[in-house]
Amino acid sequence: MKMRKLVAAGLVGAMVCSLAGCGGSGSAAENKGSEAKGEGSYAQVTMAYSTFNNIPAAEDLDKVEEAINEITREKIGAEITLMPIGIADYSSKVSLALQGGEKIDIFHSLGDFNNAVSTDMAYDITDLLDTCAPETKELVGADWLEATTQNGRIYGIPTEKPVALTPMVVYRQDVADELQLDMSSVNSMEDLTPILEQVKAGKPDMTPVAAVQTGEIGVSTTYGDLDFLTDDFYKPIGVLMGDDMTVTDLYSTDLFRERCELVRDWFNKGLVMKDAATTTSAAAELMSSGNYFCYVAAYSYPEADTAASLEATCGFDLGAKMIGSAYLATSDLNALTYMVASTTDVPEAAMKFLNLCYTDKDVINLVIYGLEGRDYVKNDDGTVAYPEGEDASTVPYTAQLSCGTFGNFFLMYPMAGTDPASLEWELEQNKSAKTSPAMGFTYDASKMKTQYTAVKNVISQYLPGLICGSLDPATEIDKFVQALNDAGYSEILADKQEQLNAWLETK
Amino acid sequence: MTESKTFNRVATILLTVLVIITLLPILLIVIASFTEEQTLIRDGYTFFPKNFSLDAYYYMVKQGAVIVRAYGVSIFVTVVGTCLSVLLTTMLAYPMSRKSFKFRNALAFFVFFTMLFNGGIVPSYIMWTKFLHIKDTIWALIIPNYLVTAFNVILVKNFYQNSIPDSLVEAAQIDGASEFTIFRKIMFPLAVPTVATISLFTGICYWNDWTNGLYYISDEKLYSIQLLLMKIMNNIQALRSNSTAALLGTGTVDLPGTSIRMAMAVIGILPILLIYPFVQKYLVKGVVVGAVKG
Amino acid sequence: MVKTGERPQAFPLQLKRVLEEKMERAQALPKKKKRFRNLPLFLIALPGVIYLIINNYVPMFGIFLAFKDYSFVKGVFGSDWCGFENFKFLFQTKDAWIMTRNTILYNVAFIILGTITAITVAIMICELGKRKRVKFFQAALLLPNLLSWVVIGFIAYAFLNADTGFINNTILRGLGLDPVTWYSTPGPWPAILVIVNLWKNIGYQSIVYMAAISGIDKSIYEAAAVDGAPKMKQIFSVTLPMLKPTVITLTLMSIGRIFYSDFGLFYQVPQNSGALFPVTQTIDTYVYRGLMELNDVGMSAAAGLYQSLVGFVLVLLANWIVRKIDSDNALF
Repeated sequence: MKMRKLVAAGLVGAMVCSLAGCGGSGSAAENKGSEAKGEGSYAQVTMAYSTFNNIPAAEDLDKVEEAINEITREKIGAEITLMPIGIADYSSKVSLALQGGEKIDIFHSLGDFNNAVSTDMAYDITDLLDTCAPETKELVGADWLEATTQNGRIYGIPTEKPVALTPMVVYRQDVADELQLDMSSVNSMEDLTPILEQVKAGKPDMTPVAAVQTGEIGVSTTYGDLDFLTDDFYKPIGVLMGDDMTVTDLYSTDLFRERCELVRDWFNKGLVMKDAATTTSAAAELMSSGNYFCYVAAYSYPEADTAASLEATCGFDLGAKMIGSAYLATSDLNALTYMVASTTDVPEAAMKFLNLCYTDKDVINLVIYGLEGRDYVKNDDGTVAYPEGEDASTVPYTAQLSCGTFGNFFLMYPMAGTDPASLEWELEQNKSAKTSPAMGFTYDASKMKTQYTAVKNVISQYLPGLICGSLDPATEIDKFVQALNDAGYSEILADKQEQLNAWLETK
Repeated sequence: MTESKTFNRVATILLTVLVIITLLPILLIVIASFTEEQTLIRDGYTFFPKNFSLDAYYYMVKQGAVIVRAYGVSIFVTVVGTCLSVLLTTMLAYPMSRKSFKFRNALAFFVFFTMLFNGGIVPSYIMWTKFLHIKDTIWALIIPNYLVTAFNVILVKNFYQNSIPDSLVEAAQIDGASEFTIFRKIMFPLAVPTVATISLFTGICYWNDWTNGLYYISDEKLYSIQLLLMKIMNNIQALRSNSTAALLGTGTVDLPGTSIRMAMAVIGILPILLIYPFVQKYLVKGVVVGAVKG
Repeated sequence: MVKTGERPQAFPLQLKRVLEEKMERAQALPKKKKRFRNLPLFLIALPGVIYLIINNYVPMFGIFLAFKDYSFVKGVFGSDWCGFENFKFLFQTKDAWIMTRNTILYNVAFIILGTITAITVAIMICELGKRKRVKFFQAALLLPNLLSWVVIGFIAYAFLNADTGFINNTILRGLGLDPVTWYSTPGPWPAILVIVNLWKNIGYQSIVYMAAISGIDKSIYEAAAVDGAPKMKQIFSVTLPMLKPTVITLTLMSIGRIFYSDFGLFYQVPQNSGALFPVTQTIDTYVYRGLMELNDVGMSAAAGLYQSLVGFVLVLLANWIVRKIDSDNALF
């Protein structure tokens, strides 16, 4: 019995502690907040950004913040709090925090810019841009800002980075050499077929084509001059083809049917991985197994750079060949857009900080690489590397893998091993890539939500199988289109057309 | 007697088969975690891989400090959470079982209702972070969601109702014991078999949970082991299923491979394997003691 | 007021006698302080009640979101009302029928098969007693419950994938049969999902029944054994009837959640394969797939409310029926 009493007392004690604990830790947090505010009268700006890297420990993060603050206090009279969030939870955490009234002043989109605007998450920065960030406005340019404009108001700033993605086939150089394949003859998906057949014949154990990711073997990236009109890249709903300004149903087109028939043919001949529609492995993993010859994906680097940068993860000598050209549409630009939160109490300071994120080399590199010496070292040629014996997972702070998601890519130190000359090429591509006539148009789906949910379900049911060859286009495309129409597809197309027409009139 | 022997034999065989079926897939994971990455992708998962490798575990050892810390967090949360939960649950369940308690049905409905309806994550989030300030404290892993669950309360209530006669309480009242004393000295100890059950359930629940951490923890020091594993898995999943990778142009992200993911799963269940025999000892004891008393 | 024990057989005789004596004395005493009799019991329940209010009841205001067009600027209370607009997507297409049918049928299958297997396992384990290997069995059966659905998805994939899967590669090939592309063949999936669900939950579910069985007084069995009842008959005439209350309670609770499905089971295990949607689509997966990009607060609240309401109505109904037949075992 005594023992029991003790246990019971312990439990009660623990409970009391827990209640006290709530209060105690809460006030501790508040203290910390007021402490931070106590340091002079600097505006407090919190920026939430996504990262693929480990989330750094609080004290390691503090040092980076302090280094940034030294710059920002002087330049814009503000102090910054960094809030790195793992990429998988980023959207949900930011949305939850904003709904919960937490302080986030700056956040970015992950392909969901339209959604952020239609739910009032983003602050209207049209005027602030002129007063607080004229340099950035100048740098990004009016054309790009079109992509983050809705109804004449600007809601965000696209990241300044290589956006022109060129479809390429990434293949095993060693196998190509051994079988004497003429890769230079490959200029389209169709051209690949004879090459794949040669691989199959010469290397019966090898599956020629690997999936890039679940449900995608390269069809989505190689449609050519197709504007998805701000739909998800992999699940487009209504598209523009070439210069025609009619919103078109992609899935009823000959282009789509031909592509499906092509991959079906590959599938039947055993040229493509059977489980592409459901695989749990990504291209790099598959390639590294040595079982696969190539995959098709879009990259923003030139051929040689792409191949070189992928070699480490794939573990073989690689080659890359472009099989199309880049085509820019609104969503290429606004997929990663920095926005000021609509709930912010310091819009000016937030905007001024964003300005630094696009123009100040020191701020940018602090956010991406952390502190020099501790988190990275500079090489003589201007590139940077992790300190001796460290890597991305061991340094106290780095957001290097979010490369390109932050502010101005062209002001970031290049990582050791990349060719500085390719930056020029990428910048050039950004300017010279062919652009959709509807560049700048963003579709607001808020009136079509009901139809959208049904259509998305239909698409995830049929599309992966069709574009991976596991469904027979002869019978399934018709079923697919029928199901889409039942789900209210045509209403979305009509709504999209209407918005597009209205947008064209303002041009 | 022979008849009962036959029964025992049949039962043993059936259970053995069932256990083998249960364990085979888990064995497959364990083997996969020791398989060389390339072999895994080339030949798929097999019980007899061609090339073994400890790479996955080297990777884990490299993350050693983080993992040890996360284990610590998980164990603390599981133990404290389970104790608190058991206490609160039995305290709530006991009055519901008393026939003389006027509000017993109302209370039962009040409890059951929480099982059906919820306001979604947003209001809870506001409640816990804005008003109760538990964000980034260890309590964020313990208090929200799991402390009192309708399922457990109803289990305990049922146990009291079906296995413990009212006369026992009345007898104690006659001896002049207050309701608190009755609960503390008689009813709580008597509930040992169900307490053992719900502690096991709650314990597993706390051990497996990562959602509380996902919402309320951003400090890596407070990551539980499951949250840590989940974060890594989620990031891989995000890269795979979204167009993010293409959007970011990050072709070179070095993801943990399949074998590492399997090793993570093994690491998640390993401590349970080690601790379970001890837990079970007490569990079985508890059940037996309860059965004799009841 | 004084009753003899509800289930006197569950009591050792000695204790019973002591109790009876005390009760006799009690009848002589006057009833005291009747007015506040409920108070101490209520105080005991209070901490739990407060917790449920904070954790469950206050946040229930989120249900209003189902009827609102959510705006971040206007917040939960300030957003505009939009009537039943948010509910429409649940009933828009013929998918509505498929996903509702799947959700209910799978849940019914899980309730029935889950209960039967869990009871069988529990009885077997309890009958075998405290041998070392029995302990091992119990622990082993619990293990799958510690794996997340993502990992279980990987395991299923290891068995089922077309090129290198264990079933195609080893079993079917061994038998000289043609490989099956499991992830595009809907036929076997209802069985696969039921098996995977049982595999994961059987150990966990049987624990409730084990506790219930060990709560049964051994003397009843002893009496039955003296009467010469064979083991199987003991099980059917003693164990199973004694488990009835537990079965009823657990079933009632499952009915309350009959419109919910385990998202991981229906999304991760079939690897989100489109060809399997006719047999794997449930309300939860449909909502997830539909709202993944829209991320609409109001619509997800609407889906949750719909699922809860149906469960609520069904459970009230079921509870009412139970109350009619056997009021002791009703939930409330």
